[in-house]
Amino acid sequence: MNSHVKMTELPSTDLSRRSFLVGAAASGLMLGYAAVPDARAATASAGNFEPSVWYSIAPDGIVTVTCGKADMGQHIASTMAQIVCEELGAKWSDMRVSLASNDPKFNDPVLGAQITGGSWSTMMNFDAMSRAGAAGRIALTEAAATMMGLPPYYKDELVVRESVISHPKSKKQVSFADVVKSGKATKTFTPDELKAIKLKTPDQYTLIGVSVPQLDIPSKTNGTAKYGIDVMLPGMVYGKIVTPPVRYGATVKSVDDADARKVPGFIKAVILDDKTGTTTGWVVAVANTYAEARKAADALKITYDGGPNAKLSSQSLLDEAKRLQGLDDSGQFFVKNGDTAVAFGTAAKLMEAEYTTNINIHAPMEPMNATAEFKGDILHIYSGNQFATRSGAIAAGAAGIDPKYVVMHQTWLGGGFGRRLDADMMVPAVQAAKAVGKPVKVIYSRENDMTMDFSRPLTYQKIKAGLDGDGKLVALNHDVVSAWPTQRWGIPDFLTPSVDKRGPLDSFTVNGADFFYTVPNHNVRAIKNEMAHNATPSGQLRSVAPGWTFWAVESMIDEIAHSVGKDPAQYRIEMLDGKGDNAGGAQRLRNTLLAAMGLAGYGTKQLAKGEGMGVACVSSQERKTASWTACVAHVAVSPAGEVKVKKLTVATDVGTQVHPDNIRAQVEGAALWGLSLALYEKATLKDGGIEQTNFDSYKPLRMSQLPEIAVSVIANGEPATGVGEPAVTVIAPAIGNAIFNAVGARIRALPITADAVKAAMKA
Amino acid sequence: MVTLNINGRAMSVEAANDSPLLWAIREQLQMTGTKFGCGAGLCGACTVHVNGEAVRSCQTAVGDVVGKKVTTIEGLSAKGDHPLQKAWIAEQVPQCGYCQSGQIMQAASLLAKNTNPTKDEIVAHMDGNLCRCMTYSRIQKAIMRAANEMRTASNSATERRAT
Repeated sequence: MNSHVKMTELPSTDLSRRSFLVGAAASGLMLGYAAVPDARAATASAGNFEPSVWYSIAPDGIVTVTCGKADMGQHIASTMAQIVCEELGAKWSDMRVSLASNDPKFNDPVLGAQITGGSWSTMMNFDAMSRAGAAGRIALTEAAATMMGLPPYYKDELVVRESVISHPKSKKQVSFADVVKSGKATKTFTPDELKAIKLKTPDQYTLIGVSVPQLDIPSKTNGTAKYGIDVMLPGMVYGKIVTPPVRYGATVKSVDDADARKVPGFIKAVILDDKTGTTTGWVVAVANTYAEARKAADALKITYDGGPNAKLSSQSLLDEAKRLQGLDDSGQFFVKNGDTAVAFGTAAKLMEAEYTTNINIHAPMEPMNATAEFKGDILHIYSGNQFATRSGAIAAGAAGIDPKYVVMHQTWLGGGFGRRLDADMMVPAVQAAKAVGKPVKVIYSRENDMTMDFSRPLTYQKIKAGLDGDGKLVALNHDVVSAWPTQRWGIPDFLTPSVDKRGPLDSFTVNGADFFYTVPNHNVRAIKNEMAHNATPSGQLRSVAPGWTFWAVESMIDEIAHSVGKDPAQYRIEMLDGKGDNAGGAQRLRNTLLAAMGLAGYGTKQLAKGEGMGVACVSSQERKTASWTACVAHVAVSPAGEVKVKKLTVATDVGTQVHPDNIRAQVEGAALWGLSLALYEKATLKDGGIEQTNFDSYKPLRMSQLPEIAVSVIANGEPATGVGEPAVTVIAPAIGNAIFNAVGARIRALPITADAVKAAMKA
Repeated sequence: MVTLNINGRAMSVEAANDSPLLWAIREQLQMTGTKFGCGAGLCGACTVHVNGEAVRSCQTAVGDVVGKKVTTIEGLSAKGDHPLQKAWIAEQVPQCGYCQSGQIMQAASLLAKNTNPTKDEIVAHMDGNLCRCMTYSRIQKAIMRAANEMRTASNSATERRAT
């Protein structure tokens, strides 16, 4: 279990749980936002009632919830408002949202930092937002009782609904607006009092479970939603970065700006001096307009020293991964149950297989950008970001100032998918603003954005399986070799102790490999590919590790089942017996798989020649935060190996649905990401650089490639889990398994190509 | 100084004739609903109308639209109530929303000519517009819904005229 997640304690609020920030402080990332003089003024408006840091109620009754999570399209701001609104008893049309600055008071109550990822937000904020909402209702109700001339002991007779507090017996009522206007609502709550509040039980919900209109959507249909790229500051100029041909490790030898100086509007070329190590060999061309900055950037003549990675390719990274995997003493163990060596020795049958995934690029539609402005002692950063706590520190590092003087202004994110956890875009904006003494907005070209992505790393996995005489899986060795995206952050609390006590490992490279199947002897070894780690600084791409670990596990389980003549779905169900630590989770996953099978007509439909159905089921993202997800993929494969996905049937157990329509939207989007990664998206490294530069060479799914997709959500009353990522991870193995059932071709490399399928058909 | 007709108004921009229309709209006129996505005409985020046709404003020079009518998302309807905008809300299409101005402008050029498109016609018309959140099925539904509303409105107008 990862140290940052304390799911067992989640149902109760513990406001003292700030362990992450303590850890972050130790790594020099502590923010002193509260010391910034002009930053707090905006939050306290005269006449408003603020029962909690999370929202305020204005005298006109409008409730504005401040969302500390990055909203990148998952509508988390609206979700937070919905959870508050349920307990507060407000009318949905009175709810508004605002996006938090990096003030630590808006830190995630469980994580103790401002970071958005892991499909954690709803599950980790549900309790805190519920209590904040309930506290407001209690305070308003007590004030209302006074206003109506009722003794306090009548307050239990009051009904709160749709922003109105009424007393049916006396037929009196006052609105939230009336109470706030009166100034009588002043009650505050200590952490202990908040903890003691009795929250609604699910049968009392009137808003949780309802697909209310998302608060951000209207602004996203008329051009008024503001993203980082839309920020306009007085006197602002523009920066266009010039990035080296090598992804990481290059240095600038010389810059000749003679031609750039002929470009009208050109101001300056700034060579980045990045002490944070986030970027290497970058130059920013600054000009009055972005069009001029682009022209000037193109006119710069820059020479580079390519550095240590300049000769590396995808093949070198893969070769190195294989070499490392072959060493007995490489890596650290994430799982070590039983004794696989002994079990292999007595196994009736041994199987081995290798699985790979290529480099993948986030490519959100809004290219990376940031605007920096120095105002007195304060550095203001405007940039949609998923990790204000760390990004503020990177900006400070780039400016050479204390992080407490950095204010991060959040906007809507034009896609995140994990890309905006990183803060590289802060560096050129900050250093250009410093160099020219004006606010600077830096916008990456799509080419910059793709070639400088903190990508999903190239991965290599090897699995060895031992079966007993009955075909039962009794031993599994699973080695995962990759760059370590989360270790790169340098924050110890995000790492996980290895079970063999050989130091912390990056569990965000192996999550998912600790599956819920009962396998008595089971090893998972996390091996860091240092070469890939240095040459292709990796990031968290929607679903992170389970996006590759389940590709290997769910393909291998299928291979094993076929090799012993069992139906792969049935084989899984037998292993999901819920023994030991797998109790509960295994049964939920089994039920989800059965649901998907039933919905898809698995095993009952007659399929045409060249067609097949394949299953996969996953406990993504992490064992303690899983949304139980299963998929049946239905494919048709042509004799040339071309794969057409006819239908994806996805079932997911999310415990509790806050917003059913949003869950469907997220699960569908995630599943289509899974499809896009499985069949269409591939990046490659050559001479140290990413070869794909725009959407003509890196090709996410388009509308014409949309299959039929059926999403079924299981809500069984367990606590709410996250849905942004898990469905990504179930698709590729389901498709691979379907291809095998269709034409007998076993594919072990992502993305799946027609050539590979055709070759495997012949084999 | 170049004078352009944007959303029915004459607007002056200080931009070289060969500079992209996209940046003149966004920076000089500060109409930021039109988005930069790829700079190469590959994603459709920057789609606007020039004389009613959907074009990629990142690939359109300022000088080429002088004397023509340019429409951006801000000018598609007076109150954000074009049938497509209403349908986008009804179907709850946007996730991150960044591509959606371009999607709506692209779709509007289809419905201006054909208020009864088939699914295949929609796909063919929309395939150049990327949505990284993959909201494609909702985009299709919203276009169908808006087309239906436009047909209903025009049928009832015809009926009124007939009676």
